[in-house]
Amino acid sequence: MRNITLLGSISGAALLLASAAVAQDIDWKSELGDHSGKTLHMMTITDPFIDSIKATKDGFTDITGAKVEVDGYGYDALHEKELLACSQNDSSYDIFIMDGIWIGELSEAGCIDSAEKQIAEGKPEIFAWDDYTPSAAGQASWDGERMCIPIGIYYELMYYRTDLFEKAGIKVPETFEELKQAAKTFTDNPEFPGVYGYAMNNKRGAAAGQQWFEWIYSAGGKPWVSNDIGSKDPYADQTPLLNSKESVDLVQFFKDMTAYGPPGVESFAWDERANAFAAGKLAMINDWSVRAQIANDPSQSQVAGKFKAALMPHKEGAKTVSPVGGWVACVNAHGAQKDVAWDFLKWFGSPAVHKQFVMAGGPPSRLSAMQDPDVVAKYPWTEQLFEAQKNAWVEVRPRHPLAFQMIDTVGADVNKAIIGEATPQAAMDNAQEQVTKLLKQNGLLQ
Amino acid sequence: MASLVSGTTSDMTPRPSRRAFYTGDRFQAAAFIVPSCIFLALLTIWPFFYSVYLSLHRVRLTALKRAVFVGFENYWNLVTDTLFQHALLNTLMLATASIACEIIIGFVVAKAFVSIAHLRWSNWLRSFFLMPMMVTPLIVGMIFAYVFNPVLGIANYLLNSVGLAPVSWFGDPFPAMLSILLINVWQWTPFMMLLIMAGLFSIRSDLYEAARVDGAKWHHILRFLEIPSIRGIVLLGIILRIIDTLRFFDVVYVTTRGGPGDSTMVLTLYAYQQNFQFFQAGTGSAAAVIILVISIVITTFAVRLLRRIEND
Repeated sequence: MRNITLLGSISGAALLLASAAVAQDIDWKSELGDHSGKTLHMMTITDPFIDSIKATKDGFTDITGAKVEVDGYGYDALHEKELLACSQNDSSYDIFIMDGIWIGELSEAGCIDSAEKQIAEGKPEIFAWDDYTPSAAGQASWDGERMCIPIGIYYELMYYRTDLFEKAGIKVPETFEELKQAAKTFTDNPEFPGVYGYAMNNKRGAAAGQQWFEWIYSAGGKPWVSNDIGSKDPYADQTPLLNSKESVDLVQFFKDMTAYGPPGVESFAWDERANAFAAGKLAMINDWSVRAQIANDPSQSQVAGKFKAALMPHKEGAKTVSPVGGWVACVNAHGAQKDVAWDFLKWFGSPAVHKQFVMAGGPPSRLSAMQDPDVVAKYPWTEQLFEAQKNAWVEVRPRHPLAFQMIDTVGADVNKAIIGEATPQAAMDNAQEQVTKLLKQNGLLQ
Repeated sequence: MASLVSGTTSDMTPRPSRRAFYTGDRFQAAAFIVPSCIFLALLTIWPFFYSVYLSLHRVRLTALKRAVFVGFENYWNLVTDTLFQHALLNTLMLATASIACEIIIGFVVAKAFVSIAHLRWSNWLRSFFLMPMMVTPLIVGMIFAYVFNPVLGIANYLLNSVGLAPVSWFGDPFPAMLSILLINVWQWTPFMMLLIMAGLFSIRSDLYEAARVDGAKWHHILRFLEIPSIRGIVLLGIILRIIDTLRFFDVVYVTTRGGPGDSTMVLTLYAYQQNFQFFQAGTGSAAAVIILVISIVITTFAVRLLRRIEND
């Protein structure tokens, strides 16, 4: 509780400073170089914020003359493409937009340049580092060094259908048990035809694996020995705790929740859940904040204006630790136009342009944007995001070079438990064995 | 002494002129063969040996310079890895089941097309039947991901409209494997049908007439006339389809990612994950080498069988 209060005070102070900074006008013409005739290339995920980047980027062209091309790829394809480009010293792309959990892998492979020099030499009101939420700043840093610029930081929230909850007359769940009961209320209930209670990320691999990491703290556990919330050195002892009692209970909870999901929920990942919620088939869903826009868009959703957000539930006796994720922008170490790339990031990451990006649908990563009245009015769940960032922990998912493989390995075993191919205990014992072997083989564990 | 003799002999042989060398058979043969050899060496042989080299090292694709020689450790890790074992078993099951279905359905459809060959619109119908084969497998995977979507897909909608319970197509191991099999059969039966139809058209009509005159029933014609006539071409189809199935990747990648559990994991997806998702180039290369060895063994065996049939 003291930590949360402290974080809140720091956030408040940072917000005041940041607001003052934002208030100052920046002469971008003198801050940025003339890049006429050049074209900046960046690759990013095809998440909804790609449209927000496209809606904002022309401002940079107006100031510098440089065109900005944005190429979108799926999650796995982007990871693959960025690392392959790096392994081939490819200079085709100037900026890599990457998931914060890949930062260890790309930093240690020498794929990205550090942002420290740029931040140190730039005007404080441009980078306004303290205006980023602590977990956003953490996502962009690796091994104590600021490597990238946070642009689209996500927090996971629980979304619930207000119309259904009013009709059922039940409170919004805060604990796992309450969540189960609420999900049960809406499932196979003639009063709510065609509606199911809840759907989780159960698909084999990254989906189920990430879900385990996102929920384990709220289930009272932790993923490995030294990864305590607020730890100065969370990677000191990476002995996994995948078969701890809290972990096995959590996997049992995932399995129990499939009873309240639509047919085939065992193979659901992010898209299937978001589509089912937008189609009005689900009473509740937990999801990254960026997808709330889709659910609130009447042209794509049948539940626009009919849902609200709340913090993720927690196990009885534990407290909610909001999962943090999202995207940071980094300069390709092998890029040929680093000056243009840094100028773009200076401009795009600045508080004023960040607000434009957020108003165009991008996820807020700055405290100033999260508390901006215009943003809050347009995206009502921003208030919950502000609350979520207070109790988020940046290392909720591993971010070292083996993160992708480790998450996938855990996800395979979690999925086996969910479909009944193994008991939760047996599945997580196997995950413990596999991950320990992986970490030892790659020198991350003695 | 030997060099003296050889020197004497070479001095006695008239040296061919440069013009004669360029117009001679040996030069022309070399001119045709050398580019192919260079192409093979650069794009096939060198990558193969490099893969073997990587497979003997613990190395990540992003840190090739930090490779550590580990001998056959990657191969040992693979053969003792239950996921790899499942991938191997699933691939073999998928190959056997889908090729069997493709031959049976392909034969029935080919017979139907042969029997309506005299009709004017039969060519159009045949072209329509070949269309699945022309679609990119990745697109096929995406289409079926929508068709079998448990909530919004048309498959469950149709089941529901006739009063049947919805199926978790990609959520349970058995339906997931069955769905993958169904997609594979749907796409590649036309290929087998095309081969079998070519075989059936090659049977002279007087042989059918002779068989009927001799009082042969349909199953006699099938057993003693049609199957012997098409078995060579069917075996060729089997070889091609085995190679295809060993490379089978796109549909699984798009629909199930090898799940639920390990139920639809196939060899190529395993190798792809190791190489391009986890960037474990050593393990991934070892998996690729094993796939190649399996392909070579199966293909060699099948080609020998094909030759024996042709000789018969």
